[in-house]
Amino acid sequence: MIETLLKHTNYLGAIALFIIGLYTVLTHNNVLKKVIGINIMETSVFLFFVSIGMIQFGRAPIIKLNETDIVYVNPLPSALILTGIVVAVSITAYSLSLIIQLYREYGTLDLDKMLESKEEQE
Amino acid sequence: MKQLPVLIVLLPLFSALMIPLIPKRKNILFGFVSVIFSTLLILTILSYLNVLSYGSFRYVFGNYLAMVGIEFLIDPLIALLVMFVSGLSFLIVIYSFSDIQHELKEHQYAYYYSLIMLLMFSMLGMLYTNDIFNTYVFMEILSIVSTAIISIKHKRSNFLASFRYLMLSSIGSLTILMGLAFLYMVTGQLNMDSMAYVISNVWTLYPTNLVLAIGFILIGLAIKSAMFPLHIWLPDAHSSAPSPSSAFLSSIVVKIYIVVLIKVIYRIFGVDIISSLRIDDFILVMASFGMIFGSIFAIGQKDIKRLLAYSSVAQIGYIFLGVGLLTPVGLAAGLFHIFSHALMKSALFMSAGSIIYSTNKRKLIDLDGIGFKMPITLITFSIAALGMIGIPGISGFMSKIYLGLALISDKHPLFLSLILLSSFLNAIYYMPILISSFLKEDVLIKNSLQKDPLPLTMIIPMVIITLSVLLIGLYPQIIMDVIELALPYYF
Repeated sequence: MIETLLKHTNYLGAIALFIIGLYTVLTHNNVLKKVIGINIMETSVFLFFVSIGMIQFGRAPIIKLNETDIVYVNPLPSALILTGIVVAVSITAYSLSLIIQLYREYGTLDLDKMLESKEEQE
Repeated sequence: MKQLPVLIVLLPLFSALMIPLIPKRKNILFGFVSVIFSTLLILTILSYLNVLSYGSFRYVFGNYLAMVGIEFLIDPLIALLVMFVSGLSFLIVIYSFSDIQHELKEHQYAYYYSLIMLLMFSMLGMLYTNDIFNTYVFMEILSIVSTAIISIKHKRSNFLASFRYLMLSSIGSLTILMGLAFLYMVTGQLNMDSMAYVISNVWTLYPTNLVLAIGFILIGLAIKSAMFPLHIWLPDAHSSAPSPSSAFLSSIVVKIYIVVLIKVIYRIFGVDIISSLRIDDFILVMASFGMIFGSIFAIGQKDIKRLLAYSSVAQIGYIFLGVGLLTPVGLAAGLFHIFSHALMKSALFMSAGSIIYSTNKRKLIDLDGIGFKMPITLITFSIAALGMIGIPGISGFMSKIYLGLALISDKHPLFLSLILLSSFLNAIYYMPILISSFLKEDVLIKNSLQKDPLPLTMIIPMVIITLSVLLIGLYPQIIMDVIELALPYYF
């Protein structure tokens, strides 16, 4: 059991990061920390996805025709994660711009205070 | 004819890029948007007729094999959904021409329609695609765009609602991506059919991976489609958005995620694996909680749009109940309710938007005697609300009949009583609005029948949607025949 876990430290790391990120998003009231939490979650998913395609002692998949016994890593997960990174950047940019607007309107970065002042307004 | 699906998906994308280039006068902009939407509608009708006469087909991009490249699968249900989505969006867009002049500043119109076009692009792409990672990419575009059409109205509550929606939907999409990683570990494929083939062969070898995968994907899609305990973003987001955006979000966007969930459950995993992993019990229980608690929360609301948003939570419960039965009859009932709820809820949001447009009143207590001032609007509202309660002759009744029959044939009588209870709760929160608008009198003005103080572009879409609600209520076979034609692709 422990041996298999130690063999797959990448999976352990990904899961730990995922939980840390989720905990940060859900428990912190500061909106900036929420965005940081989302970023940690994103990193964990990317780490997990890329490490699926990894083969120990595998080579970059540039195929040499006359050598047949070389093991290549799977390039597809890395390619997919490039798309994922682009998406992650755009989500971060959009949420940061929303935070700027929120700070202008409410004068605070605390989500609870924002919700309170919204209720007072109603 | 073979190229139609690509044209349908690319047309909104290119027009989203073209809108910033056309002159900044609103008549030109509105004309351009209507031309694009009517072209889109004609193309989708052509593609639907094509599928009906020649059967479903696959479109492969760039002549790569489906295993390597990206593939679109167009079956009768998807073709019908695409046509339905573009038709309904066209009506909502016509409605929005007047409404956004009330809610947005003039320089924002072009941004708004660019966003609407991107919304159409991502929704139609998500419906068509047969590739799971492609679905994820479209899903991310959809989640950013659907938060942007909330925050475009520059009010503090909109920013807050859209920030909370963005956070939860990013958690949802990351959860889905994690699930996809687990699926990819097992299958090594991204095409849905190849995945299904691999999973059906090896699923006894990797049960842990598959449970994790379906768990992550289900929770992610449940956040995005507002399944009961994960619905907390929905009331704020849908009630503070501009009324056309609320109609889009509540009637169409949420349903697209449910269609993706249907694809994952029925096409990738297959009914046998899902039922032996006991995922269906989870869906059924959460759906019935949603049906009851969504209605209970709606009873306490004072704001008309918040009430409609909570009502959506309850109605999404019905759809999940049908989908979670894992029988052909159940899936057909769930799919039918997707159509009927989309029509009824867009009619409700449009008429609520019209009330806000002409009187600036959102509170339920201010609605006394409004049925005499705005008869057409309130008749639309009443027909849709009665449909939600389940009065015969309206499409909501037929979806409840189908759902009830599916539950009885699957021996789940307990859920049938929950449907009855939820209908009573629906009546409790919809009837007071109808009573106060038609039977009570305003303090200041005596009740006398007037013409609606609305432009024609707002009245015509509402009337068309009301007529189609009645049409589907009286002739449900129009949609049910197509659903039955498409069911073999999902079992």
